[in-house]
Amino acid sequence: MTARLLLLLLIGLAAPDARALESSIVSSPRAQASLVTEADAYLPGQPLRVGLRLRMAPGWYTYWQNPGDAGAAPELVFSLPEGATASPIAWPTPARHVTGPVMSYGYDGEVVLPVTIATTQALADRLVIQVHASWLVCEKICVPEDGDFTLTLPAGTLPAGTPTPSAEAPLFAAADAATPRSAPWPAAVSPEGVLSLRIPGLDATQVREAWFAPLAWGQVVHSAPQALAAAADGISLALRPGPEFRHAAGLSGVVVITDHAGRTSALSLTASPGPTIAPAAVLPLWQLVAFAVAAGMILNLMPCVFPVLAMKAMALARLSGTARRTALAHAGAYSAGVVATFLALAGALVALRAAGAVVGWGFQFQSPVFVAAMAWLLFAVGLNMSGLYGIGGGAVAGIGGTAAQRGGLTGNFLTGLLAVLVATPCTAPFMGAAIAGALAAPLWVTLLGFLAMGIGFALPYVALAAIPAFARLMPRPGAWMETLRQALAFPMYAAAVWMLWVVSLQTGPSGVLYTAGGMVLIGFALWALGLAQAGSGRRLAVAASLAASAAAIALLSTLATTPPATAAAPGAVQADASQSFTLARLAELRGEGKPVFVNMTAAWCVTCIVNEQLALAQPAVQQAFAARGITYLKGDWTRRDPAITDYLRALGRDGVPLYVLYPPRGGTPVVLPQILTEQRVLDELNRAGL
Amino acid sequence: MTFRRRSLLALPAALALPLLRPGAAQATSMAVPAVAAPAPAFTGTNSNGAQVSLAQFAGKPVVLEWTNDGCPYVRKFYNAGAMQDLQRQAAAMGAVWLSIISSPPGEQGHVDGAGANALSQSRNAAPAHVLLDPEGRIGRIYGATVTPHMFIIDAKGTLVYAGGADSIPSTRQDDLARATPYVRDALTALAAGKPIANPITRPYGCVVKYRNQV
Repeated sequence: MTARLLLLLLIGLAAPDARALESSIVSSPRAQASLVTEADAYLPGQPLRVGLRLRMAPGWYTYWQNPGDAGAAPELVFSLPEGATASPIAWPTPARHVTGPVMSYGYDGEVVLPVTIATTQALADRLVIQVHASWLVCEKICVPEDGDFTLTLPAGTLPAGTPTPSAEAPLFAAADAATPRSAPWPAAVSPEGVLSLRIPGLDATQVREAWFAPLAWGQVVHSAPQALAAAADGISLALRPGPEFRHAAGLSGVVVITDHAGRTSALSLTASPGPTIAPAAVLPLWQLVAFAVAAGMILNLMPCVFPVLAMKAMALARLSGTARRTALAHAGAYSAGVVATFLALAGALVALRAAGAVVGWGFQFQSPVFVAAMAWLLFAVGLNMSGLYGIGGGAVAGIGGTAAQRGGLTGNFLTGLLAVLVATPCTAPFMGAAIAGALAAPLWVTLLGFLAMGIGFALPYVALAAIPAFARLMPRPGAWMETLRQALAFPMYAAAVWMLWVVSLQTGPSGVLYTAGGMVLIGFALWALGLAQAGSGRRLAVAASLAASAAAIALLSTLATTPPATAAAPGAVQADASQSFTLARLAELRGEGKPVFVNMTAAWCVTCIVNEQLALAQPAVQQAFAARGITYLKGDWTRRDPAITDYLRALGRDGVPLYVLYPPRGGTPVVLPQILTEQRVLDELNRAGL
Repeated sequence: MTFRRRSLLALPAALALPLLRPGAAQATSMAVPAVAAPAPAFTGTNSNGAQVSLAQFAGKPVVLEWTNDGCPYVRKFYNAGAMQDLQRQAAAMGAVWLSIISSPPGEQGHVDGAGANALSQSRNAAPAHVLLDPEGRIGRIYGATVTPHMFIIDAKGTLVYAGGADSIPSTRQDDLARATPYVRDALTALAAGKPIANPITRPYGCVVKYRNQV
């Protein structure tokens, strides 16, 4: 191609009927403009795509169909022979340009504005496309530019009926990929301008940013903030209605959604008039902190913080008869444990979310191993309180320590730690807002929010310790403390049973067997420890204790490999004839020579969900799969799954979506594009000879 | 049991009701005055160095024109004499025309007092005053986004028009004759004591080059 052009230039020929694919270029220091076509010939009766190609110098940009607060959209005026008509421009998704208080929507770098030209059979054997284009380019100043472009295309005569793609065809593919796709779900706008978009299966916590641009001026105030909130099965944006906004007329525009991995999806939509929705308020910082402190305090009262109350009661009882300074030191150690644990949880949450995991408050309870370990810990603490064994100034002294052992500040610190861990499955009023606000904010706000929650959680206890009147109210130390301690063992057992029940939900009967078996072993070990402490058969008891503990830990590792009781999260998975992806299943089907379609998806991947709705879940595609014996394997990467991660890496990807078509009888697998349409999938099936 | 199960298993779901960050790339907010509401007061310096305030024109209609002589959209109106015609129409009905230049030094359209007067003379323009607003103070009060951005305040001090100079957002003089002349129509209606047919229209033109913009 280049050689031919060079030849033409060398011999000074610019044949007017050459298969010109790109017109002559109108050039300025600001932009280069030309007319390009997708194919190098046209078929009478078939549509053909042409486009205005603008290549802007660095810093310069041109505008979208709604330019925003300033500027103007490019215009194309076609002069076409009779029998040919041009469609409006299929506008690619714009970027936002913020200039002080002025919001503009446009393009920088390179953009192709595609137009489809419909032709009829009556056309001559060549199609002359003439267009007068005008566009505005702006940097600090704006300059209107225009140009006349002509392209002549011969009529295609290929028997296959498909003109060969031109060298400029990839530009159109890029423009298509950058064009918003029609949202397959309904959107609604409230009279106050809250736009809600339903995206079934979307995990809204994974949306990092979303913004809306209306198709026409005056619908919304372009420069106003657009508060993003999760709505039922989707997201909502609180827009500020503009002077032309009419609720009854709905709202048309483009919404651009970016997830935490930086993937962007653009959807075009027409929102129908919907009911009033109170816009979700974004918490100011002081309110976030106030909510967090309140949430922490109220968390002390939530019913599922049962065992925590027992621990607190014990700790308070131990304050009886102590000097105020000692009491404060204990309270301080306890608070430090609480706050440190809250901050550690915040750190772990932030790190896991940054790594793409879908985790929230109490995330550690998603792990059956953690829950089983908590069950054992609570059981062990309960046995200590029952008096089966004692702990000498060691690890959990603060919890079960007798009045004589009340010295341990470490114990108080660990009580704080345990209190928080046990409390995490509970949410208190204000907590949802505070945690979500903290997690969505920058790191220092996240840490501040969790710090505030920790302080709130520790506050009542510190207040009681700090008030001398309270210490005077406590009875003198005595036998009652031992009785109270034994009584408080029962909330511990109850909490352990609750943990066991959670394990049963997560892993089924075998998980219960391992966890409860471990409890027996731990009971045995601690009994042996108690005997040793009492001085009888010391060596034997310690040995038995160690053996039982080792067996218990071995059980824990077994539990880690126990398959989950329920199938993968329902999240993104919709009702279709898919099977769960495993490498073994894929290998088995390939071994049988059967065709396979693999879809790697996740609940937080907007593109995946749109592809499934627009292409894969379509009856035509599902029927094609069924008719051609294709097994549809779907892998859900919503929660990190090493098997899927490895599969993605093997195919050179580090994220979803990924679509792979395996032809029958060991044919070379085809990786489909990340933007799917029904037609594209069917074409690929045909191309693979299916 | 059901309650407890929920309280635990619904935890990740509870977090699915988060308050997420608003879009990061928002413009700094700017007051947008409402049409049919009292026009915001302002005081500025004119091209002769005198202080001019909106209040001193109480009882007369006032037209505000944001302008930048380098902007091709502004040039469309001045080169064709259309803006000058509007200025004379306003003067004839007793209205006060204020041309406002919000370009800071170093940006397109910035002029000093002498430069502003020279421009008025060379263009045969007839504003009552040219206000120099290099800090963008008046521009931000009115939410002026483009040049030319037009506002009309009636004799009672009510903002009655905000928007473009006409209806066709182009830089071609040919379009002037085809466009709906919003400002001319508004002035005519105001003079006749009739309601303004299009009180809010799309302003179009070049971005106002506010100082300290990001």
